[in-house]
Amino acid sequence: MEFQAHQIKDILKIDYRYTMGGQSKFFIELMNNKKLLGTKCTKCGKIWMPPRINCSECYEPAEWVEMKQTGTIDVSTIVWYTTSAFIKAIPYGIGFIRLDGADTAMLQGIFSESLIPSKVKKGKKVRAVFQKEREGKMTDFFFVPEDEYEDWIAKPEYEGGSE
Amino acid sequence: MEKVAIIGVGITPFKARYLDKTYFELAYDATKLALEDVNKQGAEITHKDLQSTVYGIYNELFERQFMPDIFINSYIGMNNKPGTRIASGGATGGYTVRMAFAEVASGLSDLCLCLGVEKCNDCYDVQTGTTTPEVLNAIAYSADMTYEYPMGMMAASSYVSMVNAHFEEFGSPTEEQMALVSVKNHGNAIKNPKAQSPMKITVEDVINSRIICYPFKMLDCCLYSEASAALILANEEKVKELKIDNPIWITGVGAANTDCFIGNREDMGRLYSNIYAAKAAYKMAGLDYNKIKEQIDVAELHDAFSGQEVISYEELGFVPFGEGGKWIEERGPMRDGELPCCPCGGLIGCGHAVGATGIMSTGEAALQLRGDAGKHQVIIEKGRGLAHSIGGPGAAYAAIIIMENQEAKK
Ligand SMILES: [Zn+2]
Repeated sequence: MEFQAHQIKDILKIDYRYTMGGQSKFFIELMNNKKLLGTKCTKCGKIWMPPRINCSECYEPAEWVEMKQTGTIDVSTIVWYTTSAFIKAIPYGIGFIRLDGADTAMLQGIFSESLIPSKVKKGKKVRAVFQKEREGKMTDFFFVPEDEYEDWIAKPEYEGGSE
Repeated sequence: MEKVAIIGVGITPFKARYLDKTYFELAYDATKLALEDVNKQGAEITHKDLQSTVYGIYNELFERQFMPDIFINSYIGMNNKPGTRIASGGATGGYTVRMAFAEVASGLSDLCLCLGVEKCNDCYDVQTGTTTPEVLNAIAYSADMTYEYPMGMMAASSYVSMVNAHFEEFGSPTEEQMALVSVKNHGNAIKNPKAQSPMKITVEDVINSRIICYPFKMLDCCLYSEASAALILANEEKVKELKIDNPIWITGVGAANTDCFIGNREDMGRLYSNIYAAKAAYKMAGLDYNKIKEQIDVAELHDAFSGQEVISYEELGFVPFGEGGKWIEERGPMRDGELPCCPCGGLIGCGHAVGATGIMSTGEAALQLRGDAGKHQVIIEKGRGLAHSIGGPGAAYAAIIIMENQEAKK
């Protein structure tokens, strides 16, 4: 007799009130003041972005510093097929952005009117654009090529940073 | 430290989905196959002789069960003995072999079961009516949840970042060079009856397949798979007691976790974990990073994505940096090349059943060294082989296992 499988529908779901702990200031300043804060190690001077309040290399505290909102694309890709949580957003650009002055690069969305590989290539200058409605999350901002900045901040849902 | 040998290998077929088996039933099948493999060599052991288990299971969300190892422990009749679970992303299998090695090398266990399993395709995305987007989402939770998951980061976009950075630096691997890996591994899988994706394809087929994540196409990516793989490891005394004449000795284990934030790395076009794991494994085995290609017969590499296999040729020391693409153009890693890489089909050919994968790769290399690989057997002259596992956010985890058949050298 042919095997008959029995399948059930199920879902795993957990609600959180997750604390950002020592990183909280980054998210509060992002949400309230459209500032991007990094941290600078009190010993070696390394600038961490995304920030960490302790230097993982020196085991010494790192202090908050306000970063420039311009930077350079270190590497990027354009995503055409993805997870269930993001599939409605395809295609989208993401890349590692090195803010001017930072020693590390951060992953962020790269928005562009023409989302083609040459537009989001290594070395391209980008600038941060902010959502008008912010929640204190990484999705509160994204980067655009510098020459598209004025067009993006003119859109009703976005605005420029406080820099 | 005790000497440690692989004396049994059990691998279930890699399939898109087992409707007729749960993860613990699959794990039972691989265990039984591994015991049968030991007994084929003249021994008479049962699961009751196994003293401990190291489990490789990556993702609780796939299995719909936290601590899945304890439920396997019950099902395979290993109650009242020690069992430890390893979870290290795509490198889970390799890391599990490393810890099972440590279990025996340390003297904690004389006969240890190293068991990996994964069953991902019970995940189901209701909005598209397909499994893959939900499987990818279950994996994407392995990205940093604060800074990276919210950006839509996933396995392919993580690996492609490193491959793109490597291309920016060296002009390689090109899309054609990456496609050659896919052609090779799908082709090698034709001779492996346990592989999920045997295919005779061309470079053009790969390049014309659907774009996933620039420049990775569908055929550059492995498929997620369901399977289990088991090894039985023994110390020298047990090998003698059981009269195993063809033990495959584990002579080197190397592992390293590099920074999981790609943006923190000095050079984004490197899978640093590969380099550190390879150097550690070769050093332990008394091999030379700069001559390794001449010192081994076979390499089962972790080719989750074609471009990553090309970079691994360089980082594992087979060829200098920037020359991996050229090496595959010159047929170096082909079945009949200088150093056959992934003769079983690798992940692209077999599928990727995460926790089982690195154990399958290690088992496949061991079978090759024993001369028991079947239709996909390659020529063994030096008696040495390598298995490679890598994974996690930004490919942060890597583990490399060196094996040797000391009879083959005589
Ligand atoms: Zn420091």
